[in-house]
Amino acid sequence: MVKKGPKQVPESVRKLQARIEQAKQAKAKASQDLEAQKSALAAEAQAKAEKYLAEYIHKETTSNQNRAQAKKNDQFWVEEEPKVILVVRIKGINKIAPKPRKVLKLFRLLQLHNAVLVRNNKATRNMLRLIEPFVTFGYPSVQTISKLVYKRGFIKVNNQRIPLNDNVQISAVLGSKGIHCVEDLIHQLVTCGTCFKECNNLLWTFKLSSPIHGFNHKRTSFIQGGDWGDREKKINTLVNRMI
Amino acid sequence: MAARPVITVFDAKTKGEVKETVPLPAVLTAPIRLDIVRFVHDNLAKNKRQPYAVSEWTGHQHSAESWGTGRAVARIPRISGSGTGRAAQGAFGNMCRSGRMFAPTKIWRRWHRKVNLKQKRHAVAAAVAASAVPALVMARGHQIDSVPEIPLVLDGIEKVERTKDLLKVLASYGAGDDLARAAKSVTLRAGRGKSRNRRFTVRRGPLLVYDDDKASVLKAFRNIPGVDAVSVHKLSILKLAPGGTLGRFIVWSAAAFKALDHIFGTYTQTGTEKGGYQLLRPVMAHADVTAIVKSEAVQNVLRPIKETPEAHDRKANPYKNKKAMDRLNPFHKLKKRIEMIKAKRSLGKQIFDLKYVFSTLTLNKYMLIDKLEILLQVINNIYAKIILWLRNAL
Repeated sequence: MVKKGPKQVPESVRKLQARIEQAKQAKAKASQDLEAQKSALAAEAQAKAEKYLAEYIHKETTSNQNRAQAKKNDQFWVEEEPKVILVVRIKGINKIAPKPRKVLKLFRLLQLHNAVLVRNNKATRNMLRLIEPFVTFGYPSVQTISKLVYKRGFIKVNNQRIPLNDNVQISAVLGSKGIHCVEDLIHQLVTCGTCFKECNNLLWTFKLSSPIHGFNHKRTSFIQGGDWGDREKKINTLVNRMI
Repeated sequence: MAARPVITVFDAKTKGEVKETVPLPAVLTAPIRLDIVRFVHDNLAKNKRQPYAVSEWTGHQHSAESWGTGRAVARIPRISGSGTGRAAQGAFGNMCRSGRMFAPTKIWRRWHRKVNLKQKRHAVAAAVAASAVPALVMARGHQIDSVPEIPLVLDGIEKVERTKDLLKVLASYGAGDDLARAAKSVTLRAGRGKSRNRRFTVRRGPLLVYDDDKASVLKAFRNIPGVDAVSVHKLSILKLAPGGTLGRFIVWSAAAFKALDHIFGTYTQTGTEKGGYQLLRPVMAHADVTAIVKSEAVQNVLRPIKETPEAHDRKANPYKNKKAMDRLNPFHKLKKRIEMIKAKRSLGKQIFDLKYVFSTLTLNKYMLIDKLEILLQVINNIYAKIILWLRNAL
């Protein structure tokens, strides 16, 4: 009969357990750091959101005031040209000539009812002219852009389309450029800021539904009573029916 | 250096008596290469075949000729002549009744296979090594629970003269179970082999390996079902791994066992009887993969286990899901509050809401005035007075 001594734990087992312990602690620390980062981000996000809201309202009121004053003085108030255009693809994928097809691809409008934000400049306007019969576009309001990002916002991570569920996702990609939350992102998109390209590119193409109560008729331009082409501010009502 | 493991040689006559101990022959440590054994067995098993074929002229012993076209019949050769039902019937083709078969079997089919000598030797070495692994022997189906040692080496088994004596010896060394298994398994063969001199099938029992060709045991084993005997100088893969399955239960005679090193050689010396034969060296020096993986040298350089990446949450609609909105925009709750103030509510509730709003807005004096501007914008005229009061109070 072997005498039972104190239970011996082999050295290899002890070392393995030590290694597992270490890994567990490192993991706990990492999650703690993430929590701290998240709460700091939340406080910052709140402050930023307030600031931007003030800014948007300020802009709207000043513009209203200017128009009212001009009217009073029998003058014209020329508003600045909108910086950002929202383009929505109206036509399906069949029977598109090569050049418009290429332009649609450049704009990331690869599918019916896809929507993207586009800078407003000579170059892009010329491109839009090429694809006029296949898209409708206009100048989105702050509310429209907000809605798009909140409800239909997906971001490009590792060439994958990942839902935008947390500010950490934005901070991870754009943090170095000072954009840490959704409101920062929306602000860049609305005002066509210095990081418009990065913010817009981070966002995957918006995939909208077909509009409730439908289109007029897609075969003619908006001006003619149909749907395609430039519809300026009226894009907002359409997109709100598609979100 | 570890000492070579040692095999006990038992005395055949007296149950359990140890005669001597013999160091393990190198063959029993040869790598167990099932792939080689399978290949060699598959090919060597073909060598005992007898040719079969149909007769050369079967189906052609007619003077049939095709009638050609234009007679509203198929162009198959037809039996010449008349006056019998057989006339004008199709002949010669494999599709015809009484025609010759498609591709009549020929006797010059390649029945036998040549296997390289080295491969044959490696296979035999592997099979001998496998017979020393109790797990493999049991897996093959042999009943070896009572056998004292695997490999089982008996001194004096070659001298046994009578069958019943041999049975006693084998039974006393635990081979009785395996013999019983073989004896019980004698059954009529299924199929035509019954009438072709292969009437009964029987399981394979122990294999006796002997050294002396004139040993008396060679007559004694013949009537025991399932038992084979083979000379150690003429080991055959067909006997060592019947059906290509490794791990036959072998009962060695002492002389045969001791001759193994001489026949196959060792890892330091090539075989003498199998001239120049060098045992295969194992690919892995240390075959315990689990031990290698668990060793410190490996564990220390492993990266931590990758957690399966969390599947991305489904998109939660922030306009419906309050938690989702809170995650993205913590200000939204407050904004809603302010908008609620805009709605027609009792004065008391309005003041309560204002107080809440004020307490939760971040007190950055630079932004304070802006906030008040906001409140002014959204709140009704009546309540603006309250705001002014608040402003004055600050």
